[in-house]
Amino acid sequence: MNVQVSLNTPAKKAPPAPAPLLSLRNLVIAKAGRRLVDGVSLEIAAGRTLAVIGESGSGKSLTALALLGLLPEGLDIDEATRIAVDGRELGPRDERGWRALRGRRIAMVFQDPMACLNPFMRVGDQIDEALRRAGIASRTERRQRTAERLAEVELPAPETLARRYPHELSGGQQQRVMIAMALAGAPDLLIADEPTSALDASVQAEIVALLARLQARRGLALLIITHDLSVAGALAHEVAVMQRGRVVEAGPAAEVLVRPRDPYTARLVGARRRLDEVAPHRPDAGGVIVEAEGLCVDYAARRLFGAPHRAVHEAALSLVPGRTVGLLGESGSGKSTLAAALAGLRPLSAGRVRLLGHEVVPGGRPLPRTLRRQCQMVFQNPYGALNPRLTIGWALAEPLALMGVPAREREARIALALKEVGLEHEHAARFPHQLSGGQRQRACIARALLCEPRVLICDEVISALDMSVKVQILDLLRRLQQERGFAMLFVGHDIEAVRWIADEVLVMNRGRIVERCAADALDEAHVRDPYTQRLLASRLLPRAA
Amino acid sequence: MAAVTLSRAFPRLLARLLPVGLALARMAAQAVGIVVIVFLLARLIPGDAVDVKGLEGDLTAAQQSELRHQLGLDRPVAEQMAAWSWRALHGNFGDSIRFGRPVSGMLATAVPETLLFTGLSFAFGLLLAAGVAVGAVTTGNPVLRGLVNFFNVWSVALPTFCVGVVGILVFSIWLNWLPVFGSLVLPVIIIGIDSAGLIVKPLYEELAEAATSAHVRTARAKGLPGWRVTLRHLLPTAVPVTLALSGLVLTSLVAGTITMEVLFGLPGIGSLMLNAIHGRDYPVIQATIVVVAVALVAMNAATDLLHRLIDPRMSS
Repeated sequence: MNVQVSLNTPAKKAPPAPAPLLSLRNLVIAKAGRRLVDGVSLEIAAGRTLAVIGESGSGKSLTALALLGLLPEGLDIDEATRIAVDGRELGPRDERGWRALRGRRIAMVFQDPMACLNPFMRVGDQIDEALRRAGIASRTERRQRTAERLAEVELPAPETLARRYPHELSGGQQQRVMIAMALAGAPDLLIADEPTSALDASVQAEIVALLARLQARRGLALLIITHDLSVAGALAHEVAVMQRGRVVEAGPAAEVLVRPRDPYTARLVGARRRLDEVAPHRPDAGGVIVEAEGLCVDYAARRLFGAPHRAVHEAALSLVPGRTVGLLGESGSGKSTLAAALAGLRPLSAGRVRLLGHEVVPGGRPLPRTLRRQCQMVFQNPYGALNPRLTIGWALAEPLALMGVPAREREARIALALKEVGLEHEHAARFPHQLSGGQRQRACIARALLCEPRVLICDEVISALDMSVKVQILDLLRRLQQERGFAMLFVGHDIEAVRWIADEVLVMNRGRIVERCAADALDEAHVRDPYTQRLLASRLLPRAA
Repeated sequence: MAAVTLSRAFPRLLARLLPVGLALARMAAQAVGIVVIVFLLARLIPGDAVDVKGLEGDLTAAQQSELRHQLGLDRPVAEQMAAWSWRALHGNFGDSIRFGRPVSGMLATAVPETLLFTGLSFAFGLLLAAGVAVGAVTTGNPVLRGLVNFFNVWSVALPTFCVGVVGILVFSIWLNWLPVFGSLVLPVIIIGIDSAGLIVKPLYEELAEAATSAHVRTARAKGLPGWRVTLRHLLPTAVPVTLALSGLVLTSLVAGTITMEVLFGLPGIGSLMLNAIHGRDYPVIQATIVVVAVALVAMNAATDLLHRLIDPRMSS
């Protein structure tokens, strides 16, 4: 069996064979009778890139795992499923057969590289292990090849880096190590399951560019699993769009992503396009209600006698009723800390915040209750922000009780709030786990609205949501602001979303606000700051056909 | 040049050693605290060694007060403690009040016995727990999974002294396989199973979770054989938990060994301590407690340091 595999390996140099490298027909995966993947068929030809696009729960990751025989226990695969590599069929649970292919013909890169690398092993040793598995017996040769692979994924100082542990690398470096490890056995097909989802935007663009270069240089076949249309557009020749376990549309990327035929695909593509339309600049309404000057926030030192870590340096910003300030930044830029400090949820180390007429200074009086109510926050993870043991109705009744609204009036107010955020009255009786992610976020927004806030701070509120839901929530926030006229601070890392909803955009990097401009001027022609320019340049462009 | 690198390396070395030094200082403080509390507690119990001797040997009141003065028992407690501590620091734990022999000599015979006993029990328990947990996770065998729960319930539900008595009844009296006193076999098995029961369940849960973790899946995706995935990628994940649990188990072994030593007549620290408490033999009580306290603190320090050594994330 191994002989046949190694005979087939040099196929890269030959012109693309007529038989597809990998073909999957009628994949059906069920759990307890419920079909998670329902009749998916895919084909990947040598040297081509196929992107499988889908939102959470579409079954795209299970499909990828099935292509390497890695499906977890407890899932049933239908008898009618056929998987063939180079025209040779393999049973989905044929562990021996799959193990012969893994790493040598088919390799895989996963989401969240930090969790995927073994924390107890130096990264060089982890690549070394893959090389040994690929049949390289000499230790010196393995060491040399480890360095070569690390250089190939464009990591600096490969020899030094190989001696590091995963936690000593950045997210982007970790993912590069994962790719280097996948390439160790010179595979013909690389499956990448959401390879950039856990990474910051600028890092994401670098990884996508690296994958494109590797594919061109090595003639790899690439299977990209993603929820992000721009990643698919930047890499794929062909795409397949999955919804609820089925492929609803498949074809050339340039065709499907530009002129989608299926209504679901059209909705996905439309959602992305909506964000590209920048809203017209709105006139200033005047009357600043939140104003921060020289705002600094420190985190206590992690060690005895260590210096405190300054998360926010001298930030200044002001919020005006009816208008939105967008705060754009990558992870660790201090944007959430700044948002929490503005809401009075985190003590200041220096500077001052004037919030609705109350002065917040370091060591000063905390925000009075009545004012705190008027400054509401909505968070990234709506599941974590709702008590799992309270129904939505109970959760919404809490702020009303605090405000002293009589019990008989509460139900009507809750029903009205739910209606306003696009939920039904029946949702009040449900528990958070009985709602979808988008519905949960709507419930959180409803809860904030019940306090009749004059300031709404949204901290990454759409990050955990699927693309089509993101746009709905953005629409909702904008409509509510128009109706109610609250001032809004919208914190996010998604350039398009922040630009779409905001009137003014602030860009944060390493705790400092490095750029402030009108939302419609947030493009490479207008911004001055080099970091912002890099951020804008990292947006993905569709692959030339 | 060398001086420059040295001056640069020195703060880094200091930064690495400082946490270790602080940990050791904390542990020394713990040991001192335990000793002080025991010293005071021993004197809270009504009656002293002279009373016990008086009951046994018909000493007159005058003889008793003479003896008290001789032994320093009539001085204030603080003064007694200071004098004792000073001598203990020099390795002199004084003489047993009841037997008149040097306490250090008594310890010299008891400590090796206890070390052998606890070492064997702990090793047996750890091997049993690790074997059952790893086997249950990697094979998914229902019998092994059942054993995980069996040992766990056993150690929670059955106190070692009960099992010990039943064990003596069955194996020594009815079957006549083992002597009633002095054999290590039965106590090691009993304490070993008891320790295994404490470790096996959390270890199994940790391994079962690690088996579905992303880095184990990555190792499988690399095409590594199953044994290598288990050995290099699955097992290291469970080391921190095993260490933490081992610290816990070693602590509980102190209580376990005392009862077992008394029950099976093993001449270890536990028997020594219990006899000393019965006889109000202060020097022996104090010395044995010091030995146990220092051992406990040292074991905790050792597991902590091992964790730092094994998990690269801890040291940076």
